Amino acid sequence: MSTPSSKSPSDLQRLGGIFTKALLGIAIVLFGLEFFIHRHGVVSAEESFMFPALYGFLAFLFIVQVGKWLRLMIMRKEDYYD
Amino acid sequence: MISHMPPGLIMILAAFLLPVIPHVWRQIYMLGAIALSAYGLFLGAGTHLVWAVLGLDLILYQADALSLPFAIIFHLAAALNVIYSWHDRDWQQHCASLSYAGAAIAALHAGDLVSLFVWWEATAVTSVFLILASGTERARKAAMRYLLFQVTSGVLLLAGAAILASTSGDIRFTKMDLGDAATWLIFIAFGIKAAFPFLNGWLQDAYPEATPTGTVALSAFTTKLAIYALARGFPGTDILIWIGAAMTALPVFFAVIENDLRRVLAFSLNNQLGFMVVAVGIGTELALNGAVAHAFVHIIYKALLFMSMGAVLHQVGTIKASELGGLYKKMPFTMVCCIIGAMSISAFPLFSGFVAKSLTMSALGDAGIIWAYFVLLFASAGVLEHSGIKIPYFAFFAHDSKIETGEAPIGMRVAMGIAAFLCVGIGVFPSLLYSILPYAVDYHPYDAGHVTSQMQLLIFAMLAFVVLVRLKLYPPEIPSVVLNSDWFYRRLAPMVGLPLLRMVMLVWSGLLQQMRGLVNAIWDKLDRIMHSPLAGPTVSGRAVLIQAGLLTLLLLIAYAAAG
Repeated sequence: MSTPSSKSPSDLQRLGGIFTKALLGIAIVLFGLEFFIHRHGVVSAEESFMFPALYGFLAFLFIVQVGKWLRLMIMRKEDYYD
Repeated sequence: MISHMPPGLIMILAAFLLPVIPHVWRQIYMLGAIALSAYGLFLGAGTHLVWAVLGLDLILYQADALSLPFAIIFHLAAALNVIYSWHDRDWQQHCASLSYAGAAIAALHAGDLVSLFVWWEATAVTSVFLILASGTERARKAAMRYLLFQVTSGVLLLAGAAILASTSGDIRFTKMDLGDAATWLIFIAFGIKAAFPFLNGWLQDAYPEATPTGTVALSAFTTKLAIYALARGFPGTDILIWIGAAMTALPVFFAVIENDLRRVLAFSLNNQLGFMVVAVGIGTELALNGAVAHAFVHIIYKALLFMSMGAVLHQVGTIKASELGGLYKKMPFTMVCCIIGAMSISAFPLFSGFVAKSLTMSALGDAGIIWAYFVLLFASAGVLEHSGIKIPYFAFFAHDSKIETGEAPIGMRVAMGIAAFLCVGIGVFPSLLYSILPYAVDYHPYDAGHVTSQMQLLIFAMLAFVVLVRLKLYPPEIPSVVLNSDWFYRRLAPMVGLPLLRMVMLVWSGLLQQMRGLVNAIWDKLDRIMHSPLAGPTVSGRAVLIQAGLLTLLLLIAYAAAG
């Protein structure tokens, strides 16, 4: 049983690689579609080129970064309330 | 006869027999009770049962287009929960979850505020047993804090109803305008159960402490009952847009750093409630449809996510992200269901979250509330982060935790399968959901522009995740506690309150000591007078001396009055 479990990390890495490639593939398709499909926006800025993509990408980075800062302030040991 | 009973009541009555019914039959019996209760919905819209008592007309069974979708999904959630807990022999938990669901369903059909109060409190006292059932000291304490908040909510609701009854004499549960004390009390009562900012501590505190099956039941009813109550009582109340927007955005940051995956889902639940609260705040027909549709699909995918994490907890014994990982091979079915739940909550096209959330976003755009629109768009990326990626990633992938386990019991898998099927079914055929919404719908979520917008947002947010993981910038999971608004009463209040209490006690005991000294001094003086009087015989005791003193005083008063 030790052989499969020692293989698992590489399995996970392989899965990660497939996942990343699939994401990039979809991202390229979405990039291409941007030239053909007119997206309706609530404000004109939202209709600018690849706006939702940029918004999603930056929002995600922002959330994670704020989370890291928040950790410094509000993270405590597991037995804090005990 | 049964059809005229308020739906849900039959489930509460049925719960009384559960202890004497053997296992497995008990589950079939519970499904029967839920079906009978659901049968009552066929009576249709209207007022079906009124009870005149103590000069009040209690409307026990009233149904309309708003209560129906909630009633349908509450019954469905109750049935799913029975299937999910099929393996569980603990009749107390089944008793609690069946009567809890029954109380929530009965509350949906209460036409007046006093009846609503009764069921409102009933949901509190029944659901608390699902937390207590964990059997740990930690759970017991969380359960007590939970009960305190739930009962407070009920008391505020009753206070508001009492003021309304005494001022206008009208306790019917209809649309209210926020203004006087009564409506504010009721609004805050609803706000506690809807987990408004700073009133939300109980949710993240207590839900993750319940049993694996208990949390699934808890996730469905209390908070969505509050959304229903807000939609009926306060549609179009502007302040709800602000409150809701804060609810969507703030929990996102907490969820990123939380280690307990069921607690991450509790933060996520809070964030989802925000979308519904915003929709109720907009108050247009499209927005209210959005709130109801969101509540409907949310109950299914949130239950699915809690079920998948419950299955992991049931099999592995922990749900901490720092201890999990790599379970995709050991629990592939649970993993697939979890990802379907994750894609639904993230609002991927063809999944249920997309067709519901689109209604609210469109309503926001139509109403021209641009700032809230962008806050909710931001929160959508947040949902993807914590529920879409973090939950499945840390449980099933991330790294190999070397945990040896297998799939969850068959009942758990069947319930997850049904919920996953519904998530996809509603996403592909949204007209099924739209047909039961309160207002007629002419809405088409699947236009090319809308779908590509949503896909861009989600796919590029996921790419951000991949970039962070590859650059090792994504924060690792750390065994920890994240402080939330419950910190104010779990830490700050004792920190400030206990020294304050100690000081008061110190002053009080000092004061008592001084008083005692004064009394002793007086007695000493009296004794001296008794034993060595200036003239005449000695006095035999203190009582005689006091009596003599009082008589003298009386004599003086009598003289003064006569004079």
